[in-house]
Amino acid sequence: MSDPTSAQPPHLSVAGDTADWHRLHPLTPVVRAGRGIIAFVVAVALIAIANQRNNSQLVVDLVVLALALSGGFISWLVTRWQVANGVLRIDTGLIRRDSRRFPLTQIQAIDVVQTGLARVLGLAELQLRVAGSDSKRSGRLACLRLADAEELRRELLALSAAAGTLQAEHPPGLAAPLQGSAETGVTSSVLPVPGARVSPEVIERPLFRVRSGRLAVAIVLSRSGAIAAVVIAAVVTTIAVTGSTTATASFLPFAFGIVLAVWRQFSGEYGTRVAAAPDGFRLRSGLIQITTETVRPGRVQGIRLEEPLVWRAFGWCRLAVDVAGPKERGENRSEGRRLRALVPVGSRAEALQMVDDLLASRPMPDRRAPREARLKGPFQYHFLAWGSDERYVVTSRGRVCRKTTWVPLEKVQSIRWVQGPVQRRLGLATVNLDVAGRRVTASIDDRTQAEAGELFGRLPDLARAARAG
Amino acid sequence: MSADTVDADIRWQRPSPRLLRCRRIEVASVAVPAALVGGLIGASASAAAGLGVAVGLLVLGLLTERFFARRVAAWGFAERNEDLMVRRGVLVKRQSVIPYGRMQFIDVTAGPIERSMGLATLRMHTAAAASDARIPGLERDIAAKLRDQLASLGEAQAAGL
Repeated sequence: MSDPTSAQPPHLSVAGDTADWHRLHPLTPVVRAGRGIIAFVVAVALIAIANQRNNSQLVVDLVVLALALSGGFISWLVTRWQVANGVLRIDTGLIRRDSRRFPLTQIQAIDVVQTGLARVLGLAELQLRVAGSDSKRSGRLACLRLADAEELRRELLALSAAAGTLQAEHPPGLAAPLQGSAETGVTSSVLPVPGARVSPEVIERPLFRVRSGRLAVAIVLSRSGAIAAVVIAAVVTTIAVTGSTTATASFLPFAFGIVLAVWRQFSGEYGTRVAAAPDGFRLRSGLIQITTETVRPGRVQGIRLEEPLVWRAFGWCRLAVDVAGPKERGENRSEGRRLRALVPVGSRAEALQMVDDLLASRPMPDRRAPREARLKGPFQYHFLAWGSDERYVVTSRGRVCRKTTWVPLEKVQSIRWVQGPVQRRLGLATVNLDVAGRRVTASIDDRTQAEAGELFGRLPDLARAARAG
Repeated sequence: MSADTVDADIRWQRPSPRLLRCRRIEVASVAVPAALVGGLIGASASAAAGLGVAVGLLVLGLLTERFFARRVAAWGFAERNEDLMVRRGVLVKRQSVIPYGRMQFIDVTAGPIERSMGLATLRMHTAAAASDARIPGLERDIAAKLRDQLASLGEAQAAGL
């Protein structure tokens, strides 16, 4: 690889000289301790009010608080970071030194995350996503000033793109397209001109914005909303019938958990905005904690359009993408496990428009399942269909919640042909296309044996052609 | 009742016949002690009950053995130009195609009974969790050869995510 320093923009406004070591923002310990500190302060205050005489107890509590804060302060003191030679280095640790290096070419995405407390203080956290690493190894720069974080994110992405294009101009070996160069292909296809440096002012084209009212109604009408409603109704009726609140005590943790999950979904998806930027789709969302994430269309492993029964009455749907790589967040783990929703709730037209923006072409599931499939799944049959073109395969299924899944043929990891005993009796078979994402699999369900066999013979070649082209 | 969906001219390779012996030992090592213990417990009520339970469990073991025999017979794999094909299953028939370039890593494992027979199980992993490609009952040297062969093919055709 040629010297990546030559690809750096002439100046880094945040950093000045890039090889300098930088510190995080001094308020970092407060933000890191976050909720813990708030809870602790509240608890101490309550204790202090409850027994005003007992001052020694208060002193002990204050000492614990001070120790916790000073621990955070020391951690801040010994943490520093640097960008040099195309590598981001983060050093930390007082007793056990820990030095992490992140080659910028390997960075898949950089997220800006703001927890509630960080927002109050105007700080933000930078999270680096590196392919194939778990969350422990991924990089975190917490916390920086919001403007600095945005600026640094932009510059790191520009550096990463520039270093990547350099690599593509001088590929190590043409015969073996390695992951790095495959990624650059993606990046340069997104950039307006391959090899062009991303200009500091990134022009964003807004694509979608969720309506808060609709989101609230939609979540209430969704499955989690329905479960929450049932649980709340159960609690209320129990109280009304028995007349005592003690009977519901065992219910409470359960109810609390469900309400919390619904609230998390709402606060996580509140204000979702999607905009097209040169490096991909900029996704911002959150009510208290704001997450900024960039989805590169070339890294999308699968797209899922979900239309639950009740939502269909309003013509609403949800569009989510599955992107390779771990995305577990400490704060929003429940959200990390879900697919990333580009459109948490929107009209079908909006969602299909988004699919058009993500994919080069949009085949629709137009090939219905054969008549025999009705005997196997009389309800499921209604929406059972698939379709394809030379780049994508799309399948739709599900009666209560209609799910339409698009999978790029070039991302297919393996193809499976499956035939269960009932299917064999009816002369049917299923063909599955597996992709690297965590939960999306396109399954072309219940086709006639002849069609499934023909597909199973043809799809590997189609996938290979898509990979090559 | 042919499950061959793709061209019939694929040359399927099969697991070693010793795999069946391996499975038989596994079944016997569960069925015989179970029959003994069940028989003793049944015999505490009456001798006939004990005999009945023991015979019943042994018959169950024999049925399981038949099932395993069919499963072993159904297993096969084929190395094609660009991908590996694996087929398996009796009740639910499955066939998988895994392009060499998609293989992330390859495992060769051998349990104690397999090891005593000189057999090993080869397992291929792709980036997708759903892909399953497992070939049990390969002779140990064939497994090692296949692993190296697949690894080098995978390296030559490697594709990014």
